[in-house]
Amino acid sequence: MSKKSVWSVKLSTASLVLIPAAVGVNYIGKLFAQLLKLPLWLDSIGTVLASMLAGPIIGALAGLINNIIYGFMDPVSFVYGITSVAIGVVVGLMARIGFLENWVKAGIIAFAVIFTSTVVSTPINIIFWEGQTGNIWGDAVYAGVLNITNTVWLASFLDELIVDLPDKILTVLIAYGIYRGLPKNLLQLYRADSEIEELK
Amino acid sequence: MKQLTLYVDKQSFVHAVDPITKLFYVAFAILTSMLVPTAYAGVICALLSLSLLCLAKVIKNASPVFLFIGFVLFTVVVIQGLFGVNNQTEAFRLSGLIFYREGLITGAKIILRVVNIVSAFLILTLTTKASDLVEDLVRAGLSPRIGYVITSVFQIIPQMISSADIIMDAQRSRGMETEGGLMVRMKAFIPLIGPVVLDSFMSTKERAMALEARAFSAPNKKTFLRERPAYTYAAKLRGAFVVLTLAALIWRLAA
Repeated sequence: MSKKSVWSVKLSTASLVLIPAAVGVNYIGKLFAQLLKLPLWLDSIGTVLASMLAGPIIGALAGLINNIIYGFMDPVSFVYGITSVAIGVVVGLMARIGFLENWVKAGIIAFAVIFTSTVVSTPINIIFWEGQTGNIWGDAVYAGVLNITNTVWLASFLDELIVDLPDKILTVLIAYGIYRGLPKNLLQLYRADSEIEELK
Repeated sequence: MKQLTLYVDKQSFVHAVDPITKLFYVAFAILTSMLVPTAYAGVICALLSLSLLCLAKVIKNASPVFLFIGFVLFTVVVIQGLFGVNNQTEAFRLSGLIFYREGLITGAKIILRVVNIVSAFLILTLTTKASDLVEDLVRAGLSPRIGYVITSVFQIIPQMISSADIIMDAQRSRGMETEGGLMVRMKAFIPLIGPVVLDSFMSTKERAMALEARAFSAPNKKTFLRERPAYTYAAKLRGAFVVLTLAALIWRLAA
């Protein structure tokens, strides 16, 4: 079995229709989290799953289109599209190099996602909100750290981290749990190293 | 069925402007307010966007969005006023808490910036049908495949919401607890999201086959179902927005 590049992408019809499904799952995740009054967003399960299935490019597209569409309901969401794209790329790449084998490795993906999300979101938070996230717990940390250290960067970084940590761990682990439950004939559609001939 | 976008179907001269020209306006309003080195530019841009929202008769529909960001902005002002990095000059005291002038000014600047961006985008989202925007983007050169992906989201999400309701009822009738302590509610999340995800991901395969059977990947040039008359002043307005943004850039570089 020849291994293709981790970036390889099949912009096949099957991969493209994965994107609306992923955006829908993001939306429903958020909806259920609100219905159950969970103190989390859980609004990127679909993006993470699409990246696990179809790799970094489809993951990034799913993230981008997700935030454009959320932008039609809440304009602030447009700018955080960059974070969604970064999450899609990171999960997709790690999935391609074999981090989907077991739960421990999935946990490593979770931490990579937290790191990425925090590093990418912090500058956006600083540009738009002078570093705050709008989350009560996170902003309490922000105020505390800013009062002690007087550095916006550190305060904002910790603000975002404290918000992202539980949310992204659960998002990735739930997505991985679902991924493991998906039937093989579905996974087969998106295998990057598959040698399926297509009728032209 | 629940409507997803903020679009309000009304007649006004703002609604009549074509979607791409509105995108030009959004870029112009945001860039100009950031480029021009005085705060007045931001005030003028924000007032312009807000008055356009009023003229389009959609300001009422914009208020929930402003209410939401207003809450976040309020905490920003309080935290900046109390703990801002450059805080030196005392402005006033409120029950033992000292608010500083510098922080409050930073807070005001953030409010201006955010109101500016949000109101510019609201002109686009409140007065433009998402499908019209996508269609115009495809006409302007966006891949029709990506165009399909974006429009289909607006159809899929309402479907998924109704299937989510069914799953919620089904799981409750099997005795799943959806109220109670945090752990109880956390545990309920998995049996709710699981079926929705499996359902929608499994159906992607069928959707892909249905699309292929209708020549989705055919290399031919795609045609449009509807022909819409071109907006008369599109070129002039777009030109004006570009010139004004460039003028703001030159002002910034010269200052």
